[in-house]
Amino acid sequence: MNSQAVLEFARGPFFYFALLFMLFGLAFRLFSVISLGWSRDRVSPMGSKTKGVVVTFLKAFLIWPFIPWVKNTFNRNPLIYIGGGLFHLSLFVVIILGTPHMLVWKSLIGFGWATLPLPIVDWMSAIGIIAMVILLINRRIHPVLKLISGPAEFFAWLFVFLPMLTGYMMTHHIGGSYEALYARHMITVDVLMIWIPLSRISHFVFYFFSRAIHGQEFGKRGVAV
Amino acid sequence: MMSTTEKAMEAFVHETGGWVAAQLEACTRCGMCAEACHFYQATGNPEYAPVWKMELLRRAYEQRFTIIGGVKATLGLDKRVTDEDLAHWSDLNYEACTVCNKCSMVCPMGIDIGSLLHGMRAGLAAAEVIPADLAAAVTKQVNEGSPLGMTDTVWDQRLEWVADEWEVEIPRDVKGATTMVVFSSIEVMKFPANVAAIAKILNKAGEKWTVSSKAREIVNFGFYEGSEEHTKLFLNRVLDGAKDLGVKRIVVTECGHAYDALRWHAANWIPEASNFDVIHITGVLGELVGSGRIKIKPGFFDNGGKITFHDACKIQRKGGHIQEPRDILKVLAPNSFTEMTPNREESVCCGGGGGVIAVKAADPVRYASFELKIDQVNAVGAKTVSMTCSNCRLQFTDSVDHFKLDWKVAGLSQMVADALEE
Repeated sequence: MNSQAVLEFARGPFFYFALLFMLFGLAFRLFSVISLGWSRDRVSPMGSKTKGVVVTFLKAFLIWPFIPWVKNTFNRNPLIYIGGGLFHLSLFVVIILGTPHMLVWKSLIGFGWATLPLPIVDWMSAIGIIAMVILLINRRIHPVLKLISGPAEFFAWLFVFLPMLTGYMMTHHIGGSYEALYARHMITVDVLMIWIPLSRISHFVFYFFSRAIHGQEFGKRGVAV
Repeated sequence: MMSTTEKAMEAFVHETGGWVAAQLEACTRCGMCAEACHFYQATGNPEYAPVWKMELLRRAYEQRFTIIGGVKATLGLDKRVTDEDLAHWSDLNYEACTVCNKCSMVCPMGIDIGSLLHGMRAGLAAAEVIPADLAAAVTKQVNEGSPLGMTDTVWDQRLEWVADEWEVEIPRDVKGATTMVVFSSIEVMKFPANVAAIAKILNKAGEKWTVSSKAREIVNFGFYEGSEEHTKLFLNRVLDGAKDLGVKRIVVTECGHAYDALRWHAANWIPEASNFDVIHITGVLGELVGSGRIKIKPGFFDNGGKITFHDACKIQRKGGHIQEPRDILKVLAPNSFTEMTPNREESVCCGGGGGVIAVKAADPVRYASFELKIDQVNAVGAKTVSMTCSNCRLQFTDSVDHFKLDWKVAGLSQMVADALEE
């Protein structure tokens, strides 16, 4: 099979299969969790739960990421904050604000948006890759991370890292013909999409639950979150 | 006959609703929670990372409720829980965790780790894999009504003595009183001046209050242990006393875990609990001082060196009474009251809560974690540390002795009582 055929497969049937697998997989996991049932909280609140939820999301998105050093724990382990923060920022910039990815979104959902110039996106993707490497090294040496990491953590890292690397190589034409590079990128993306519902990469779905629970629990006690 | 492990697994599974599952699913295993834990900070032992302390709960959930978890366990990629595991995690959870919930303040996913760690305890308690001294204290509370040996007679004599010694009236079993006060045996047995102080304050305020000979112990060792059965048994004793006397509200005195259990959990286990307003004495003090029902002498504590305030995890961070002690201390010691860093909901636990102080084997880590507190207090140069929790106070007085510190450890109620305007 030549690169062109592989590419056709990876961005055609395989892509749609992986996409559907991801969506159904996540929906299934979400359903499994919700179907375990939620007992009603009969405790009378001292403060507003709703306010707690709103405040915690606002702080999590708009305040803490920009002034992390005010938190004690930042000073005790800044690497994980900076590495993790830059990695997520890089993902956002590349996947949402990079022109080629925006076009993929456009083809899927029907509309597009303004994007950032290529050099900025390119630098951000390089930063994301470096952050990932540092985070992996950190995971191998930090005593707590060593203890809590197993094959699952390594595979999750690998399947996120590969699309980033192949994407970067594709932009810079490193390691083969355009079709071959493109095909490699698409295959790694497809594998990632399949891996998401099978792993903890799915945390972005459950994040909204745990953060809301946090806001509720602190809000009902009238404590700042 | 179920094995120990099966009992624990059953309890873990029982603990798991969508609420727990969603939070376990959100964990990215980033390990940041470790940095919040005072036991980890003090010892550097990676096993004290909160995420690791709840490892068995995670395994139970994944292996029982998720397809991937089931497959992984079958393939040997995820370990099954064994009896040895239970014993090991019992040490981690009862010796090196005060369930202070500081970890949830730093979790980037906002997971309420403290509640999950309580779930861990529930499993361990169901399997009866708990430290012998904690188990003995629970048994004592079941049989005698109090873990500190405060039997009916002892309670009776102690309160009589307090009333005599401090010349204060302690109304008993008054039907039709508005407020029922339930002291902790720590106060009655070890800090009796606190009992006298609270009585003095409530009398001064003209509060219609009473103690109940039925509800004489607020401490809840079942909640420390994590056993729902014991927790409910002890909660019911308090609620029955309140029901008999027909009071409207129950005041929990300077005890943190008890307040957490009665104020923030009881209604979910025992529906009648919602018939009563439950409030911590800190809230009452704030109310009385704020409304002017009692008057305290401004600056009364201003001439004895710097005073700082220690936030208790169950009364401030998990209880919500953060502002009241500060408002009061700003009146009592406007010039010498200084905040420690970190403070309020970000404060660091004393290291003795969650039943840890009752477990002898925990002594080394308990003292090690107190060294963080020493640094914080010394950083502001305080000579007096005020607090609203007798369990913290027990840890402070014991550690002050252990480390030979020249601090004064003061209960806030006692400070207020001392400074009351006649």
